[in-house]
Amino acid sequence: MTVPKVLIVDDHAFIRRGVQGILQAHPEWQLCGEADNGKDAVRMARELNPEAIVMDVSMPGLNGVEATRAIRKTNANVKILLLTLHESSELVRTAFQAGINGYLLKTDAEQELVQALNVVIAQGTYVSPRIDPAVAKELISRGSRPAAVSDAGTN
Amino acid sequence: MNLRILVADDHDIIRRGLKQLLTAHAGWNVCAEAKTGREAVSLAEEHKPDVVVMDVSMPDLNGLEAARRIRKALPKTEIVILTLHFSDQLVHDIVEAGARAYIMKSDADRDLVAAVEAISNRRSFFTPRAAEMLLNGFRKQSTPNAAPTEYRSRLTSREREITQLLAEGKSSKEVAVALNISVKTAETHRANIMRKLELHSVSELVRYAVKNQIIEA
Repeated sequence: MTVPKVLIVDDHAFIRRGVQGILQAHPEWQLCGEADNGKDAVRMARELNPEAIVMDVSMPGLNGVEATRAIRKTNANVKILLLTLHESSELVRTAFQAGINGYLLKTDAEQELVQALNVVIAQGTYVSPRIDPAVAKELISRGSRPAAVSDAGTN
Repeated sequence: MNLRILVADDHDIIRRGLKQLLTAHAGWNVCAEAKTGREAVSLAEEHKPDVVVMDVSMPDLNGLEAARRIRKALPKTEIVILTLHFSDQLVHDIVEAGARAYIMKSDADRDLVAAVEAISNRRSFFTPRAAEMLLNGFRKQSTPNAAPTEYRSRLTSREREITQLLAEGKSSKEVAVALNISVKTAETHRANIMRKLELHSVSELVRYAVKNQIIEA
């Protein structure tokens, strides 16, 4: 079985380093590239053809939600996991409408990143346990594929 | 040069990333990690690091108050402050707190190592926008932004600490437990804060704390 490739997109170097550090401890995932803005993310998603993208929201130029929309125009398969500081239900909805498969808060990334990647790669929907459970439930039940989510409140 | 560094940020993944960026430099070691300002002060006292790399927005006690206390207890320890957003007022607060380096999180890749190198040689390092602002302030020979400066001079360190706890939603009783003081003392501090800042409700206090970056919105 081939190891799934992950592209990390964040304008903050220490977040990219942090994700790299977590993935290094999990050889079942392979970091294939890094981008520090949305525009490069779109290009690298096309060139590297990763199985998953860990994407920040607030970035200069093209933000993570806009980059997701652009990637979805040509690539329906790549799993996009949004990694953000924002807990707003509105952003959660907008991001899922744009085509993300998972929504992970930076607060929980250290503990939940690999689990979230496992959920989205298995065709599931991941919503951070801190997000309003009603919103999470609505998004997961709306998904056309079998849904999965981390157990709320376990971290 | 060998350096012992304390890293303080409430996000685990950010501490992990900062640690990776710092330890990639030969001779630099992260001797302790803190999740809150209060933890940073106590770990700094315990480990006596050469440098503290610290976020401003942390629960319990923010980075500015923590920096003030660390500088007071350990004058040889230099502090790098990291922030997500730039604000003129913050530059003044950082300087006043005794930190000699201020960088933006977005520039950490470029500036973090340079900032730590500079302060370990007893030099300052400010993100270019802050450096320009400080220079302009110096040229004008004036004290910018009177209002928040007034806040600083009017409140004691203890009152600033309690302002943050109240703005985070803690009751006087919870403040008393957190700081190991009596409920009556906590209530007196609370009344003094409200009087000094001319505030009349907790929601006004929260707005005030957000505006002055004591807590995040």
